[in-house]
Amino acid sequence: MKHNPLRNAFVFLLAFGAVGYGAGLGIDRFVTGDFHFSGAVAAAFALLFSVAAFFFGLYGYRGVTRGLTFQVVGMFAGALFVTLIRTLMGLKAFDAFLFSEPAWVFGGLVGAIAFLFGVGVVSDWMKWARGIDTPEHHEDEPGWRKFFGVSLDHKVIGIQYTVTALFLISVGGLFALIFRTELAESQLQFLTENLRLFDQSGPQLYNTLMSLHGMIMIVSILLGIAGIMNYAVPMLIGARDMAFPRLNAFAYWLSVPAIMLLLMSLVLGGFDTGWTGYPPLSARAPVGMQMFFLGVFVAGWSSILGGLNVIATTLRMRAKGMSPFRLPILVWSALAASIIQLTATQLIGLSFQLVMFQRLFDMGFFDPAKGGNPVLFQHLFWFYSHPVVYVFVLPGLGVISELLPVFARKPLFGYRWVALSSLGIATVGSIVWAHHMFASGMNEYLRVPFMYSTMLVAVPTGVKFFSWVATLWGGKIETPTPMLFVLGSIVVFLFGGVTGPPNAMVALNLHLHDTYWVVGHFHDTIFGGFVFPFFAALYYWFPKATGRRMNEFWGKVHFWLMTPSFLVLTFGMMFIGLRGMRRRIVDYDPAQGFDHAQLILTICAFLIAISILIFLINFFRSIKHGEVATGNVWKSRSPEWQVPSPMPAHNYDVPFEVVGEPYDYGLAGSKYIEFAADGAGKKH
Amino acid sequence: MINKQEKTNLLSQGVFIFVCLAVLTLLEFLVAVTFNSLVVLVVVALVKAGLVLYYYMHMSKLNENPDAATDHESYAFKTGTNRAGLWLFLLSDAFVFGGLMAMRLNLLGLTRPDLNQNLGLFVTVVLLVSSFFMNRGETHLHNGNRAGFLKNTMITFILGLAFLLGVVMIEWHAIPSVAEAVLHLFGEPAGRTPLKPSSGVAGAAFFMMTGMHAFHVLTGLIFLAVIWVNGKRGLYDEKQYPVEAAAVYWHFIDVVWIFFYPALYLIGTAI
Repeated sequence: MKHNPLRNAFVFLLAFGAVGYGAGLGIDRFVTGDFHFSGAVAAAFALLFSVAAFFFGLYGYRGVTRGLTFQVVGMFAGALFVTLIRTLMGLKAFDAFLFSEPAWVFGGLVGAIAFLFGVGVVSDWMKWARGIDTPEHHEDEPGWRKFFGVSLDHKVIGIQYTVTALFLISVGGLFALIFRTELAESQLQFLTENLRLFDQSGPQLYNTLMSLHGMIMIVSILLGIAGIMNYAVPMLIGARDMAFPRLNAFAYWLSVPAIMLLLMSLVLGGFDTGWTGYPPLSARAPVGMQMFFLGVFVAGWSSILGGLNVIATTLRMRAKGMSPFRLPILVWSALAASIIQLTATQLIGLSFQLVMFQRLFDMGFFDPAKGGNPVLFQHLFWFYSHPVVYVFVLPGLGVISELLPVFARKPLFGYRWVALSSLGIATVGSIVWAHHMFASGMNEYLRVPFMYSTMLVAVPTGVKFFSWVATLWGGKIETPTPMLFVLGSIVVFLFGGVTGPPNAMVALNLHLHDTYWVVGHFHDTIFGGFVFPFFAALYYWFPKATGRRMNEFWGKVHFWLMTPSFLVLTFGMMFIGLRGMRRRIVDYDPAQGFDHAQLILTICAFLIAISILIFLINFFRSIKHGEVATGNVWKSRSPEWQVPSPMPAHNYDVPFEVVGEPYDYGLAGSKYIEFAADGAGKKH
Repeated sequence: MINKQEKTNLLSQGVFIFVCLAVLTLLEFLVAVTFNSLVVLVVVALVKAGLVLYYYMHMSKLNENPDAATDHESYAFKTGTNRAGLWLFLLSDAFVFGGLMAMRLNLLGLTRPDLNQNLGLFVTVVLLVSSFFMNRGETHLHNGNRAGFLKNTMITFILGLAFLLGVVMIEWHAIPSVAEAVLHLFGEPAGRTPLKPSSGVAGAAFFMMTGMHAFHVLTGLIFLAVIWVNGKRGLYDEKQYPVEAAAVYWHFIDVVWIFFYPALYLIGTAI
């Protein structure tokens, strides 16, 4: 009898979820002498068991399933090891969440490392260390199964990144829906004090969900841009693969244990600091805080190594004749984003590590009682966490510049300026971080320089806007779904952009700092700079990856449902923000009169969710049932569209040479690339 | 093929750079215990780091990479790519240490933890000497002398291990009785309480910085062990990049210590 793998997967998910829940409940009963039906331990076991079992049902015991099994076993082995040592040392062996905090942290770390061994992404390196040579490339499994194991093909990894990002966006969005529903009306409706879930009361759960919404979305965006960059960059520059295919796979697979750790932080007592994790609050939040730190740390390494690979690939793997100013704009922006990823990411890792060690070993970095300085944390943290927004938006802005000429049938206006503006944004963006700290009590003389440097970011960003508008001017504009999203992102990002400078003004910032205004501004920039271009890229390159198109009608429904709801949502946020709605809080005073506005915001949030659902159905349905499209669907000049879709492994059978400018659409006789004649110089 | 004269030149260049580094290290120690000028210490550290980066880590090899026109599957081209990747990684790693340095300057300013200066100088010299032998081993391999490579790599490994034990066992007081005995040898005055992670920001900064550095030393030792074992089997007689990578990484650890040593032992006044 033939089983549907997906049905198997869900059956296993439920069955092992129940088994894990029971096991957790039993162990908790054994240690604490009491049943905690909605407690952290049972939930943690259920989570770990069910996720691993899901992939077992889908795929069998290999690849990702093996990795997750190793992670679960490694986590408990590590935790038990520390517990044993603590017992021998006469310290308290067990704590509120079964293991003590050091045991959970060590276990989490061991689990993450064990995952990498389990999934098999380090096995080639281990062989090299023992002096055994491995083949340069590995053959992938046919069909969908290759996505669940280690593949070295940059296109497979790009798709793995993208789908993982879509999954995480859904999870983060779900969290947002939960707390948005609570906010629809003043007073507490369902996240009440009486609620007990994962050892958290309703308002505590609100804090955890709100915090995790932030970080899960950030990780999903990092995975999303990694997806675009991995998939597109080698194809655009004519490379067979990334510079370091194994490192590429390693970077992707790091993100999976990181996601598990982030989800663990929800069930292990949660945390209430927001995604920023400022001490001193983060120095005394529950264990969930540590899992959060650990998860971000591992995800950060994924991002660092991914960025390293993109830089090395761009530097070393370009086709003949692809001089710097003939690179596609997307590659320029990917390069700029990767430089930030490579360098600044270390600082968030460090700042979170310092809090972890402060908690574990009573070190006094941010503890004023020991001479520590909490503001130091904020400097280290924002040194990454501000530039990272340019990591989010730069590839997106690159996608806009990349697609706009295709659909306006006109050369990109001011190519060199646009190319260099990405590096300009990355450079200026690295010296603006303290504008997040105007209200923090840092040294006052720092305020004005950081105000001006922040305003300066508007200049290279403005260059991009001028280029887009001038490219559209007089063009023969076509509006299939990808172009709709490109135009949408220009509009939305403009709103995000113009609401930025007011925040940069010290005088205004002190009043706007903790309000919904900032939330509205931020979501405008990220939707305009990442979400809309991301969807544009997915609709655009979908035929390249699958040989089929996504449904145009449902694509347009997605766009026309999401865009107005989103604009109402963020304008509404800014509107009530200016009137004094504070951010990050579970409840607000009915006398403030925000009830109607909040209800509208919640309705908009659900409309966005419906549009994303439409997208997801369209996306997964079109893989099998979409209209066949193997040719140059968008009449693009870009090299990847000059060969039939889907792209074969190792990309171009015949290498090409760059002979002209990339975006000379509509100019008679202009040529960008030329394939070597008669397969001369064929690579294999 | 490299002629004999060139072989000798490469080796003596290593010796000359080592002598310069040793003199500079002694100079900074003497400056610290006499007139303690911050400017001199910073300049000396920068000069030392520059010497290591240029001569021991041969940073200029990045410019000698075969260009994109070369066959992408050739060993020379792949070595160039690997080299770029390694230096990008080191750049990234430098931000960790830069962040730690910023943390130390913010929390401690112009004060420093009260540590045994003789021991500090000793472990610094041990690491410096190990860097010298690493360079010598790499040069020997380059010159086609496998036995010399193995011998010098082994010495590097032993010195690296000595540094690690010096920091973790003695400075960290991992085994208090051993630590006290050794510290006594280094002229430790009686009754000084050992630094602990929980003893104020000085302890926190000291343990975090040396800990992060020691972790890198540990990984460096693992790489050294790998290239020694594989080198013994003649794996690197032709394809030498793994040895270059391990050597560059080892020298990078030394560069970090070139800055951490004055930051922890020399600048400012002890508290």
